[in-house]
Amino acid sequence: MDELYLDNIDEYVNDHNKIVTYKWLSLTLGVHVNTAKQMLYHYLDHKRKESSAQLHATYLVSGKFVDNGQTSHKVSVVREEQLEDFKAKMSLVVSVHVYSVQKALLKDSGPLYAVDYDAVKDNLKNCSRYSAIRCASAVPMSSVELQQAREVQQAPTPEPENKKAGMNGDTSPVLKSSAKPPKGIMGMFANKSAPKSQDNSKEMKPEKKEDAHDIEAPKSKPVAKVNPVANFFGTQTSKKPEKTVKEEEAPQSSSRAAQQHERSKPEEKQETVAPVEPQKDTKKDSRSKTKRLEDSDGEEEKMEKKKRRRIKKPEPDSSDEDVIPDSPQPVVTREPSSPSPKKEVEPDRHSHPSSSEMKIRKRRRVMKSHTFVDDDGCMVTEKGYVSESYSESEDDFKPSKQASRDPIKAKPSSSSKEDEKKTQKKASANSNKGTKQASIMGFFQKK
Amino acid sequence: MTTLTRQDLNFGQVVADILCEFLEVAIHLILYVREVYPSGIFQKRKKYNVPVQMSCHPELNQYIQDTLHCIKPLIEKNDAEKVVVVIMDKEHHPVERFVFEISQPPLLSIRLLVTDCCLCFHSSDTLLSHVEQLLRAFILKISVCDAVLNSNPPGCSFTVLVHTRDAATRNMEKVQVIKDFPWIVADEQEVHMQEPRLIPLKTMTSDIVKMQLYVEERAQKT
Repeated sequence: MDELYLDNIDEYVNDHNKIVTYKWLSLTLGVHVNTAKQMLYHYLDHKRKESSAQLHATYLVSGKFVDNGQTSHKVSVVREEQLEDFKAKMSLVVSVHVYSVQKALLKDSGPLYAVDYDAVKDNLKNCSRYSAIRCASAVPMSSVELQQAREVQQAPTPEPENKKAGMNGDTSPVLKSSAKPPKGIMGMFANKSAPKSQDNSKEMKPEKKEDAHDIEAPKSKPVAKVNPVANFFGTQTSKKPEKTVKEEEAPQSSSRAAQQHERSKPEEKQETVAPVEPQKDTKKDSRSKTKRLEDSDGEEEKMEKKKRRRIKKPEPDSSDEDVIPDSPQPVVTREPSSPSPKKEVEPDRHSHPSSSEMKIRKRRRVMKSHTFVDDDGCMVTEKGYVSESYSESEDDFKPSKQASRDPIKAKPSSSSKEDEKKTQKKASANSNKGTKQASIMGFFQKK
Repeated sequence: MTTLTRQDLNFGQVVADILCEFLEVAIHLILYVREVYPSGIFQKRKKYNVPVQMSCHPELNQYIQDTLHCIKPLIEKNDAEKVVVVIMDKEHHPVERFVFEISQPPLLSIRLLVTDCCLCFHSSDTLLSHVEQLLRAFILKISVCDAVLNSNPPGCSFTVLVHTRDAATRNMEKVQVIKDFPWIVADEQEVHMQEPRLIPLKTMTSDIVKMQLYVEERAQKT
């Protein structure tokens, strides 16, 4: 019975030409990971003595490593040939064990991850059943606690939305000089943007350095103190650093990686001032990714759009430069969202021409495409309405422009989110889909 | 008598999209694993939630994309029987052929199948993630194919062949999908190999596509 596992592993490695990692073996055979590691070691030993087929192995080495006077704990997966070298470099070797056994010489570590991916995915609920890492306080949240956590997350967002609605409502009946309310509102925006960047820069720094969590706790506290309460999102920002401190202090035994993840979550919450939008985006993401079958609209026209876009590209590029903003007056009713610069580009472009037209000039809505390089280095072309100086009166134009701005904002944000996930091909196809309506209207408008 | 509705055409395009994406990743991976190009031009990227190696060289990428762009219409109409990545030595004799045999169930059964799948899978999410899992297994198999193949001689190059029907070839000539990217009928020498050894790698059967990958290897490579 005890020797049966040798045959099993032999079958996986030689007959099926699989990569057998200890994690995969423990999940497949239903044994504790340490048992799986020993099994692999014995198998390797056995085969090496027989010297039959050529096998390659990778090892996991973890221990203390001194680099320029700084000691750190290093965990690495190394090839067998590099094992002794690596062990010699470490000041203290805490653990060494077989990570995987395979027939092929692996050129990179990618397949090792791929092997475990499906095994873990199939056993997602109990993937740590055979694991040796235990934490008594790491218990899944009950449904009650989960709901509470969700409510807390959603509570801060209705606050700023209500305040904003209150502000907008207050401006109209106010009989004071018109300078004051805009100042107050613009002051809110100015205050909001400055401390937000301070927050981000201060919180980014502790994340990048590999300091102990003791240092990080006092750092996040002063951040809350420095920002004045007159800050539009003052209450929100003072809450969040406190939250991070609490979360950091509580699970002392949790790993550093988990802490950084937690810290990055509140950061993300801070940045997404209107988290409703990103949630919509992720929903749109999953929708567009997985329910492609149901997109009956865009498929046929996609090919035509691709061809049409190629021809169209040179034209808009030249005419884009004609829309020169006269004066950068910010628009009052603008939504205080758009953390990423590219989202701000579009509203700025929309707002600039509108505010400058005091003379009797005509304006019209034209569909322009804007090409730029986003964070991943992918070229993205986005289409949107831009008001060119053509129409007859300002007042008639504003409401229609505002109405069009919001859907256009949602579309570029959804396409920008998708860009980060998909390849260039898909990015262009999806941005095409998102602005499909616009292109049809543009066709008629241009006439 | 079935009239093709818009739904059917879209489904065919979806399958073609999935397959062409997969073929792009597979070709890059084959070039990396078989060392056709130096590993320095490859970069780790993510596909199907696992790391894969893709080349950064723009001309190589453009060539592969153009090739697949031309193949896509054939796959849409289920005209492409096999897509073959041939690795040739300096004298342009093939040393290895990675054959992707593709077959799709006919459209009528796909339409019925989609409704069935929606009933039993409860959403197309499950269907697509199932396909993703199968494609991931293909990627993994290509990564370890080193073990069953002999190493290639230095200075190899590659090309892509498509086995299709006569009518499709004539259509392709009529409608040049990409300008300045002509397809020609392959030479006998490129298609047939002396003393090939057949090594099956992976087979996949799903509701929307069936694919088989095997390698034909020349017995003596040098």
